[in-house]
Amino acid sequence: MTQLRAITEQSQVIVTCGTGGVGKTSVAAALGVVAAQQGRRVVVVTIDPARRLLDAIGLEDNTGNEIQQVPLDSVGELWVTMLDVRETFDSLVRDTSPTVERANEVMQNSFYRSLSRSLSGTRDYMAAERLYNLHNDPRFDLVIVDTPPSRNALDFLESPERLARFLKHPIVRFLVAPSRGGFRIANAAMQPVLKAISGIVGGDALTGAAAFLRAFDGMETEFSRRALAVAATLRSDATHFVIVTAPAADALTEADHFVSELSRLRISLQHVVANRMPPTFGALTAAEEKEQARVTTGDLSTAHSIIAGLCEDAENARTGIDAFLERTQVLFPQLNITYANEMPADIHDMDSIAILASQLAVHPS
Amino acid sequence: MRLFAPTLTGLSFIMELHHFFTAQRVLIVAGKGGVGKSAVAGALASLSARSGLRTLLVHLDAPSAVIPAHELLEEITVSPGRALTDYLSSKGMGLLSRQLSRSGIVELVATTAPGLDDLLVLGRIKAFERELRADVIIVDGPAAGHALDLMRAPLQLKRAIGSGPISSQADEVLAMLSDAHRCKVMMVTTPAMTPVSETAEAADDIVESVHVNLTPVVVNKCEALVPAIDVTHLSADMREAYQYARDKQSAQEDALAVLTDSLELPQLHLSRHRLNSAELIEAISGELSTAIAGLS
Repeated sequence: MTQLRAITEQSQVIVTCGTGGVGKTSVAAALGVVAAQQGRRVVVVTIDPARRLLDAIGLEDNTGNEIQQVPLDSVGELWVTMLDVRETFDSLVRDTSPTVERANEVMQNSFYRSLSRSLSGTRDYMAAERLYNLHNDPRFDLVIVDTPPSRNALDFLESPERLARFLKHPIVRFLVAPSRGGFRIANAAMQPVLKAISGIVGGDALTGAAAFLRAFDGMETEFSRRALAVAATLRSDATHFVIVTAPAADALTEADHFVSELSRLRISLQHVVANRMPPTFGALTAAEEKEQARVTTGDLSTAHSIIAGLCEDAENARTGIDAFLERTQVLFPQLNITYANEMPADIHDMDSIAILASQLAVHPS
Repeated sequence: MRLFAPTLTGLSFIMELHHFFTAQRVLIVAGKGGVGKSAVAGALASLSARSGLRTLLVHLDAPSAVIPAHELLEEITVSPGRALTDYLSSKGMGLLSRQLSRSGIVELVATTAPGLDDLLVLGRIKAFERELRADVIIVDGPAAGHALDLMRAPLQLKRAIGSGPISSQADEVLAMLSDAHRCKVMMVTTPAMTPVSETAEAADDIVESVHVNLTPVVVNKCEALVPAIDVTHLSADMREAYQYARDKQSAQEDALAVLTDSLELPQLHLSRHRLNSAELIEAISGELSTAIAGLS
């Protein structure tokens, strides 16, 4: 069984996934703290974070792809950054373009401009591209990717292959063919298909797309190469996936979904963080506390009944997590789990992230 | 019915509910993961049907909660993944759509017009509304933070596409979203700082960009009041536990204060329940009906 500390010590890439409201970004940041304490140079890239959390780790909003160091009293270094889809796409175009003129031509294309706004599909491609860049950046030896809090968060894992496939598609190859004036003179086989597409999205969109793809011509080889390199890294031993969940029923349903997605993608899951576990107090069970509340009076009885509620939360949480673990271990027998306690207030500063980090770094019981 | 029956008495009470539910035809329930959005949407649909209105509950994800059956309640799932092929079939292009998906061209179309699926989902909802499929249409929004993308999709597509059938579809959807008699959005949050600040931001965003109209905001999972007691006679463990409960309560009060300051909407407070899904829907329905009646 792999402990979480071993994962932060050895991986080159850690991907955290989970639904919204489970504290996934906080866990990603806390794992960064653990790794930095182990002497590693870590960058945490967070896609679509809550502003409040940015405040906690000292990241300002609208800083694009800027990478900022978090002041930390540790041997290693902790850096944090966000994903700016437009900026990532622009620099990819600049990197892969044969000439500056060609890069500008792509970036001024109206289709490119709408594509590179933060639309979900493009975001997936760019998350993978950003990972490629950070993974190959000599300043860092560990990249922690905090996936977006959505059900299709793992789409970015498949986006490199999808993009490579898309760029090789006969229709795309046809649209980029340099010698033709436009797609209207398509050969007989293509004509009805192009007509159908243009009937759905409108002729303007297709013309724009064709102009974009022509401007893009020649860059797609490098584009595909990078995409496939990311896909290979994500499936290698250098990458570890961590599911973050909370004991609430809806969070566990979503965690089940991520488990089956990883299994479908043939990616091995080694670790689960059960975050926001209600803490336990004293040695009595909820039933015993309720009984105490019944046989006592006044403030003592009130206290027992409040504590009975807390105990019930803790017991339900444990039952829910145990059942989840049992289900998941059928698919991933090597799976290990680390628990972190719920704090009375949300994570709102580096101190609370440090508390979370110390809980994640413990040796599992 | 046990929790619910005593509250649904009196003609004026039912009229309050009717007034609330028929003030618009489509009610989109939105909120980030973990706030209990689906349970709230399910409870609303159940309440609407039981107050005598033909109700359609639209799920955008596989439904997670079990809603008590009712003769006036119909549930339907509109999946974003299938929206494009559904659209093509509805235009008599079923055969073409099957050919297109086999050859991977559906992906090409989706890439040419990102957000198309979202638009088509809203298009289906608009069609339900236009054909008067029900008196009340309640949409259990997409899981997690996707609700914003969903509602902004028509606007972004319009900018990207300019003309054609998709563009006019976007116009029609935008017209519905911004018309208070046709559609309103109900934001759901929990009384904690992160969900509250995200809810206020998201609400501002969709009001400004898409001009949607908002109903009162639902604050779900509110903890019961922890009474002040004399702790001097308690054991150390008990004192620690009591203090934890008090700290949680003050964090909740802080979050509610921030919500009041940052979002100028009436709030409907629902308590946190330790119940399974069927009982939970019952309990929330009961609380919602009281809260809605208390609005006027």
